[in-house]
Amino acid sequence: MTTSPTAPSAVKILIAGGFGVGKTTLVGAVSEVAPLRTEEYLTQASVGVDSLTGVGRKNTTTVALDFGRITVSPELVVYLFGTPGQERFWFMWNDLVNGALGGVVIADTRRLETSFASIDFFESRDIPFVVAINCFHGHNTRTTEEIRAALDLDPHVPLLVGDVRERTFGRDVLLALVDHLMSLPAAVG
Amino acid sequence: MTSYRYEEEDEQETEDGAHTMVRPYTITRGRTAPERDDFSLITVLTTAEQAVDEHGVPLRVGRLQPEHRMILDRCRRPAAVAEVAAGLDLPVSVTKILLADLVAQDLLLARAPLTVARASGGADMGLLAAVRDGLRRL
Ligand SMILES: Nc1nc2c(ncn2[C@@H]2O[C@H](COP(=O)(O)OP(=O)(O)OP(=O)(O)O)[C@@H](O)[C@H]2O)c(=O)[nH]1
Ligand SMILES: [Mg+2]
Repeated sequence: MTTSPTAPSAVKILIAGGFGVGKTTLVGAVSEVAPLRTEEYLTQASVGVDSLTGVGRKNTTTVALDFGRITVSPELVVYLFGTPGQERFWFMWNDLVNGALGGVVIADTRRLETSFASIDFFESRDIPFVVAINCFHGHNTRTTEEIRAALDLDPHVPLLVGDVRERTFGRDVLLALVDHLMSLPAAVG
Repeated sequence: MTSYRYEEEDEQETEDGAHTMVRPYTITRGRTAPERDDFSLITVLTTAEQAVDEHGVPLRVGRLQPEHRMILDRCRRPAAVAEVAAGLDLPVSVTKILLADLVAQDLLLARAPLTVARASGGADMGLLAAVRDGLRRL
């Protein structure tokens, strides 16, 4: 396809975590636009597009993604995709995970287990990630060591604690991810 | 906020009781897959400066279907597939079909995302430094 000489390049970062943990809030806090919403049919990938000839379609359930953008420079835009809380829906966007720079797993200390699946997912796909503990639901009573142990995090995975409503926290989380990416051996310069 | 819903307004009961999609795939005139699926969610689209038809005659955009015109309007400022889909309020797969039509006619230019997969060496340091500098300005 013809490539535009003037269009910016794009990269994406995935914002994951359990249901209601603050993904959309974080996206909104750092995005230059209010979070946008886009949808995909649940049937699309589950049966394959070729067999969707219009008849026999039993339902049209959709899955939604929230996303925002940060224009880093005229040449580069970072898109932030808040992934659906249920990882089993991620396959809906066959390219959602492909080509992601990295991920952020948001967790809530009162129910850390709801973010286990996101961590498993990133680990299994070799997608580098950082963990952000969101405290807007109340005070965090656990130490970062306790949280790391509970999440069974590799020691090199950055862990930050803060309030995802704050732009500065969202920024620091994303910066921690970029620093983490720069520290990884496979990154080439 | 629930992350999925049932789109009743887009459904129609057929004689045999099967549900069929009406609205979105009417817009694509029945097509359910783009000619070529090389768009990603963050493929960036830009409207071509001077759109001409196959004979070099300036294209009369007014003769395109409304969704195609809306896309060309929207992409005067570069926009990602996901943004176009959100703006049209259409599912990504339907939006991709419409985008492919316009790219095939050279009315729309597409820019693929940067390759950052770890399997292919990961993002390069220059890119990461640019992202870091941009984030620091937030
Ligand atoms: N206590 C508290 N709750 C909040 C605040 N802001 C948002 N919430 C609630 O936190 C929940 C999650 O926020 P979201 O950012 O939508 O979380 P999410 O991870 O995107 O949620 P899903 O997409 O539904 O999985 C919502 O139910 C909000 O009502 C706040 O300032 N304080
Ligand atoms: Mg959300």
